[in-house]
Amino acid sequence: MKGSTLAMNKNKFVYTAFLAIAFAATFSACKDKRSTGLEYARNMYDPIAYNPDQPNKNFKDGKTAQLPPAHTKPVGFTEYDEFPNTKEGYEAAGVSMVNPLPVDTINLAQGQHLFKVFCSPCHGEKGDGQGHLVKIEKFSGVPSYFSGSSSRGGEMKALTAGKIYHTITYGVNNMGSHASQITPIDRWKVVMYVQELQKQQ
Amino acid sequence: MRDISMILKSVWKSLFVFSAISVIAVSTVNAQDAKEGRTLFKAKCSSCHALDHKVVGPALEGVSDRHPEAFLLKWIPNNAAMIAAGDPAAVKLFNDNGKVAMTTFPELDEAKVKDILAYIKEGEPKAAVDPNAPKTGAQDSGTSGLSIAGIVAIVVLAIVILVILGRASKLLERLILQKQGIEIEEDVPLKVGVRKMFKNKKFVMFFILCLIICLGSFGWMGMWETGVHTGYQPVQPIKFSHELHAGINQIDCQYCHNGAFKSKNATIPSLNVCMNCHKAVQARDKYDGEISPEIKKIYASLGYDPETQKYDESKAKPMEWVRVHNLPDFAYFNHSQHVVVAEDAIRKAKGLQPNEPVCFACHGPVNTMEEIYQYSPLTMKWCINCHKETDISGQKNNAFYAKVIEAHEKIKKGEKITPALLGGLECGKCHY
Repeated sequence: MKGSTLAMNKNKFVYTAFLAIAFAATFSACKDKRSTGLEYARNMYDPIAYNPDQPNKNFKDGKTAQLPPAHTKPVGFTEYDEFPNTKEGYEAAGVSMVNPLPVDTINLAQGQHLFKVFCSPCHGEKGDGQGHLVKIEKFSGVPSYFSGSSSRGGEMKALTAGKIYHTITYGVNNMGSHASQITPIDRWKVVMYVQELQKQQ
Repeated sequence: MRDISMILKSVWKSLFVFSAISVIAVSTVNAQDAKEGRTLFKAKCSSCHALDHKVVGPALEGVSDRHPEAFLLKWIPNNAAMIAAGDPAAVKLFNDNGKVAMTTFPELDEAKVKDILAYIKEGEPKAAVDPNAPKTGAQDSGTSGLSIAGIVAIVVLAIVILVILGRASKLLERLILQKQGIEIEEDVPLKVGVRKMFKNKKFVMFFILCLIICLGSFGWMGMWETGVHTGYQPVQPIKFSHELHAGINQIDCQYCHNGAFKSKNATIPSLNVCMNCHKAVQARDKYDGEISPEIKKIYASLGYDPETQKYDESKAKPMEWVRVHNLPDFAYFNHSQHVVVAEDAIRKAKGLQPNEPVCFACHGPVNTMEEIYQYSPLTMKWCINCHKETDISGQKNNAFYAKVIEAHEKIKKGEKITPALLGGLECGKCHY
């Protein structure tokens, strides 16, 4: 009698083990790409402080990335308030702004790199308005830097540094503002490179 | 009488042929005009106008019905002069469209303007649908889960059918044998059989050994993969396709992830960066003239109304992307250190082509990923292996290493050197 109960228990144990193996095999075989999988100490992955792109219930709008308080400005911030996004602001920038950077090979090389990244998809690497997006007809109506006339008057090749800077900062027509992507100093490097492209025939 | 009817017939015939030819000729001329006009329209007008919806300027469909041709022929080359001269129709048009000045086009002569008007009248030529056209972000790729479930179901069904068939054939066999009058031994029940087997010590040993090997290897694999997120591909709020943007459109990684070259974080672009293109690009041709539903999500999140082109901040709601790459908070990784300082070394070490961005070294072929996933394991071993193998010699023109060498020279000469000179005042040295 005692022997048979032991055998029964052994059987039960074996059945459970079988089931466990089958379970493990099935679960490890189909790894779910939508889940991060097994994790140990998840709290060590998550920051204690808030990352800028995290939701944050401490603020009314639920964002961590808040605008600076009104009438304050960050250290080293370049203001551009005197040239608003109007026709007058554009003309004024064209007259009174000059590129603070000296034209040299380093600045031009950096300007060329930035131009390639931020401008050439539409404006083309030569500045002829025939970028890849224009060629595949995703975008159209992109002007050339060295021919034709500007939509705000004047020749494209005669645009001054201040007008180009104003355009990068605020955008015009279908071109959006690139102020959030290119810092003011990098914008001047792009302007420098664009002015080199304007000299083409 | 007969002659007359013959003559009439032939006249009628020739008239018909002539008119048919002329119709064809006119329509080909029109098509030619429209083709020229399309090129001109794309080059001159489309930065502000579209045919079927407002961009910067009004939609141009049916413009020839709204204004007399004589007016358009004057307006398009030089609208500013007409407004200045006080032409009432011109002033009204200017005022009706928010007083946004239209570019003047002195280079467009009458023939060219007529070509453009012909194109506007004809509309966009219907392009044949290319079956080999690359997939766009709008298509759903979430079928793999379903297909796996389908395969499992088929296998299970097959097993069930096999078992039933086996039982049936056994039963039939037994019936035949009984009919022939042959007595058959009753089958030993499964439970008793298994019990018998487990009385055999050798079998039990073998079984336990198998069990240990199986569980051990599963446990080992499980532990290796704990916290390793390779292949992690969460569902994002917008079906954004890197294949379309970085692959087909060839937009540089840095255009959107512009933090990668400046800072620790590569940054997820804010929606204003999307709007740089998607203010105009709405993929209407793929959705029967409607704005793509995925692009509409950008607009909804920003509170942007594509009809009025105005933003309403009270309706804006931030887009909550799901983070794919996540290092533990105790590990510091700096993007700019890798993609700017170490670019050449990493390119050499990973054998990247000149046209491939340096980002591919760790993020894999992003330009082929319809849906983004984690390509590299991002484990400590993975980092360390790369740091052991990558050759950073010959980086003479690299400003970062030049500074390090300069500091070393100073130390060698016994000159005064402070942590501040070695970047010790950078906030991120201590706080991150």
